[in-house]
Amino acid sequence: MSITASDAAPHAHLHALYRDHNSWLRGWLRHRLSNSADAADLAQDTFVRVLLARSSGTLQEPRRYLATIARGLVIDLYRRRSLEQAYLDALMARPELHAPSAETRALILDSLLAIDRMLDGLGARTRQIFLAVQLDGLSYEKAADRCGVSVSTVRKHLARGLMHCLLLEEA
Amino acid sequence: MKRTLAQAVDWYVRLHDSAVSDTTRREWQAWLAADPQHAQAWQRIEQLQQRLGQAPAGLAGTTLEQARQQRRAAVKMLAMLLGVGVVGWRGYQVSPWGADYSTRVGQRRHFTLADGSRLVLDTDSRADVQFDGTQRLIVLHQGEILVETAKDTRPLSVQTAEGRVLALGTRFTVRQGAGISRVTVEAHAVEVQPRLAIGQTLRAEAGQAVSFTADTAGPLLPAVAQGSAWTQGMLVVVDWRLEDVVAELSRYRHGYLGCAPEVAGLRLSGTFLLDDSEGVLANLEDSLPVRLRRLTRYWVRVEGRAA
Repeated sequence: MSITASDAAPHAHLHALYRDHNSWLRGWLRHRLSNSADAADLAQDTFVRVLLARSSGTLQEPRRYLATIARGLVIDLYRRRSLEQAYLDALMARPELHAPSAETRALILDSLLAIDRMLDGLGARTRQIFLAVQLDGLSYEKAADRCGVSVSTVRKHLARGLMHCLLLEEA
Repeated sequence: MKRTLAQAVDWYVRLHDSAVSDTTRREWQAWLAADPQHAQAWQRIEQLQQRLGQAPAGLAGTTLEQARQQRRAAVKMLAMLLGVGVVGWRGYQVSPWGADYSTRVGQRRHFTLADGSRLVLDTDSRADVQFDGTQRLIVLHQGEILVETAKDTRPLSVQTAEGRVLALGTRFTVRQGAGISRVTVEAHAVEVQPRLAIGQTLRAEAGQAVSFTADTAGPLLPAVAQGSAWTQGMLVVVDWRLEDVVAELSRYRHGYLGCAPEVAGLRLSGTFLLDDSEGVLANLEDSLPVRLRRLTRYWVRVEGRAA
């Protein structure tokens, strides 16, 4: 009996959380997304995150907690949309490239999303140089040309970008 | 480990060079073999390279840059996050020469002056425009204005109670405070001339802000990002004290809007819609441990939740 009880507790909490705050959260999101389908999706995702993150216990400030998670998801959604658009634009600009299938596209978007997140917090110059060398595969000289800087600046910023990514994995 | 990682990065940068020599390669191998930690660090770099390699060659860099630039319309994103729309540019109004320009509390107005310069008045502001054959003078009596100068042979300056701001082909804002004026330069430069400091001028460049009293100007400070967002009906703040945000919002409302000392130091960032200060206040309640105490519509105080 005791096993059943402690096992059921977190779900009971989640159930209560959902019952008490779901419609509030949807309203909160709808207010920010001006699209009720997105809002409903993200509200569901928020509760999934809560389910995955918490094993038990009651929340002190449930709405604040939910809003924090939801805000992160809104940023992610926005990030994904902007990447998707930029990627489609880039594909359109290069008609010679074979258009990838929807499935491949989704995988590519995932990897772009992960990289984009990883590069958060880099300065604009470092980011530009890092992308030129590491993703566009330019030589230091070409990257220096494109970015209008010296080769030694390219080296410096490349090192900075790499270090940033490596330390990020550590955290 | 951080130091070893830095070494590994240094090696990578050297090896990745198209002009890498065999000597460098041998030295790198010696380094790699010298310590298992070196090999570990190197492996981390290789894993990172693999992750980066999953992105589509040739397109990834452009895509990421483009997406970032889109988002750099960050004002929009912040606006979206806080649930406000982006307000469109207000309609211009062409005004006759020498007219008085003014706004009520909560109002903003855009004008195109006779020479084509743009003048925007923020809430509760008043200015006169005096153009003649030799100069273009805007006298700011109260509040804040944004000036975007049109090309003209006559110099353009803004006069406040404390002195003059001479425009050098530019866009800038001037605020008249109590015994102090503040200039924020958005493009090119301005020269500030305090009224009593004869012969002393201070030049402020784009991205700089400076306050001045009647007898002294300075120091030059980096301008607050989005200092002119008010012209589009927004207040953009990054890591401001709640007290300062509330004080700024109160300029756009009638009555008292204040902040209790126990929450004055809370920090926040965001984009606020100036025309909807009620909505902004409700948002504060959502995102910070504060509540609003209202005595009447015209008396509102932001307080700690426990209070």
